[in-house]
Amino acid sequence: MKRAELIEGVVIFLCGGLTAVLSLRMPVGTFRMAGSGLFPLSLGIIMMLLALLYVGDLLLRRKGVQGYSGKAAAAAPGGAVQMLLFFGASALAALGLNTLGYPLTAFLLMLLLLWILGLRRPVLLVILPLLTAVGSYLLFVQFLKIPLPKGLIGL
Amino acid sequence: MESIQQLFNGFGIAATLANFLYCLLGAVAGTMVGILPGLGPIAGIALLIPVTFGLNPTSAIIMLCGIYYGAMYGGSTTSILLNVPGETASVITCIDGYQMARKGKAGPALAICAIGSFIAGTLGLFGMVFLAPPLAQAALAFGPPEYFSLMLCGFIVLSNVTGGSLIKSLMMAVAGLIIGTAGLDPVTGEYRFTFDTTYLLSGIEFVAVAIGLFGIAEVLANVDQPLDQLEQSVIVPRFRDLYPSLRDLKASVGAMLRGAGIGFGVGLVPGPAPVIATYASYMTEKKISDHPEDFGKGAIEGVAGPESANNAACQSAFIPLFVLGIPFAPPTAILLGALMIHGVVPGPMMITEHPDVFWGVIASMYIGNFILLLLNLPFVPFFASILRIPKKILLPLVMLFCLTGMYTVNNSVSDIWLMLLMGALGYLMRKRAFDAAPLLLALVIGPKMEVAFRQSLMLSHGNFGVFFERPVSLVFLVATILFLVLPAFRFMIGRLGAGARNDGVAG
Repeated sequence: MKRAELIEGVVIFLCGGLTAVLSLRMPVGTFRMAGSGLFPLSLGIIMMLLALLYVGDLLLRRKGVQGYSGKAAAAAPGGAVQMLLFFGASALAALGLNTLGYPLTAFLLMLLLLWILGLRRPVLLVILPLLTAVGSYLLFVQFLKIPLPKGLIGL
Repeated sequence: MESIQQLFNGFGIAATLANFLYCLLGAVAGTMVGILPGLGPIAGIALLIPVTFGLNPTSAIIMLCGIYYGAMYGGSTTSILLNVPGETASVITCIDGYQMARKGKAGPALAICAIGSFIAGTLGLFGMVFLAPPLAQAALAFGPPEYFSLMLCGFIVLSNVTGGSLIKSLMMAVAGLIIGTAGLDPVTGEYRFTFDTTYLLSGIEFVAVAIGLFGIAEVLANVDQPLDQLEQSVIVPRFRDLYPSLRDLKASVGAMLRGAGIGFGVGLVPGPAPVIATYASYMTEKKISDHPEDFGKGAIEGVAGPESANNAACQSAFIPLFVLGIPFAPPTAILLGALMIHGVVPGPMMITEHPDVFWGVIASMYIGNFILLLLNLPFVPFFASILRIPKKILLPLVMLFCLTGMYTVNNSVSDIWLMLLMGALGYLMRKRAFDAAPLLLALVIGPKMEVAFRQSLMLSHGNFGVFFERPVSLVFLVATILFLVLPAFRFMIGRLGAGARNDGVAG
């Protein structure tokens, strides 16, 4: 756990450092007339200092003494794969949205997500995505008049 | 007197059929969101912002405010019936509310919540009417140094009281400020951190960050658990069991009034007001009670006080949002974003420039509280039945709604990618115990804070003393330093004590 926290600290330190470096490419100016880089540069430096404090505290923490780090939670076994599949399916939907169009993407996404979460009854696997796709299409496109991608089926 | 006249005008606006329906819709949607464990007011408002795009600013904000206090009401339902707080401010209600439900008194507990929230909402309304205009007048005297110090103070207080590690919260706040600098520099007009893409020219899309960090992260956090562990037994009260006895009411009245007072005061202070208010109210009730031993075993005062405090704090938290333009808590930060999307810039001039929005929304809060009272008393069994929807159906629905809602903001798939990225980040942050609230708050008020910081330095010709020379600014900075130093001091004392104990054991 401590190793993971140390990695967190280092990653945050590097993020702060990257912000500071990128800010230096912008005009920093003076305190009297601050340039666009001054504020992000200050933030990058503060981020690095906070990360150093965090790492320093981790390294100094004695065994059996509780520090002020929050308690991290671990994913349940098998749950991580389910979560990754769920997330991947959502990313696929984003990828196919413009090509397939909203109603078809909504139908396929629901079908896939329900299947990933263990729904296996064929009737429900068809009816629920169909109802959701039609319902959300009616709500957004017909009722709220918000245009959504038409895609292949042209709806 | 002028405030009362304006409030009546506000009632005229809020009571139009369209606004009444939007208020009703928001309150119902908010209650449903609040009932669903995990999906709290922040995620609820963020998810439903896109639905309001077709509405005028007044109706949109009325609806979003309805979602906010509806979610706060709804959160208490799951606390009492399931021992699962729908949102963080309902955690304290679990203690005695669930015990009451186990004793077959779920009905009175739910009814007391509704009545207490209504009473607190009514008192809060009068507080807002009389306090907001003078505060707005005073805020006109605020210059950039005062605004900067106030916002800094807000960050530190929020980071201190969100429950996790102070240093982690501070890192998240700074991360939010850094993300907020992407796009157009508000002072010089130069582009920053755009990486030669047109997508980032107007900055990071706030709605994508909000839905990602809260909505998507919540869904992913649920999905990574075995689903059979998530389904829990629901105690659905019968209609006839809903009403509290006269004895219950008598025992609760004092707690409700005290809770309303505590909540209203705490709501004006930077930080997650409803959470602090509920804890403060609970501790007060326990301290002054003749039977403190009953607390934790189903004391009705332990439900009435915190729930009233919760509602009053939610309402008074609108005062700093509307009159200073500074949100002190994540839900009001999202509402600030929504206000700006609809072209309303909150601040001292909001009362004069947008009286229809200001007074219309305030009046709608009262109407909304009344709607919620009517909804919550007889329809609690109906709302509780939402909990019967299996998660394996509910989670895909929420994901689809997130994707659709996000696309509708700018008709852009890039926003969906950003939202998914933020969702993954939010999920990891949860797993590693990093609080997302400071990041979101910083993202919203970051640009204002930068402008205030740079304007202050310009005014003082680069002299940092400007933050300490002005009395109001100095007060906020002293408060900031105290909030920073006290936890570190407590931590060091605790560490020394523990070290001494360890040495003693070793010796």
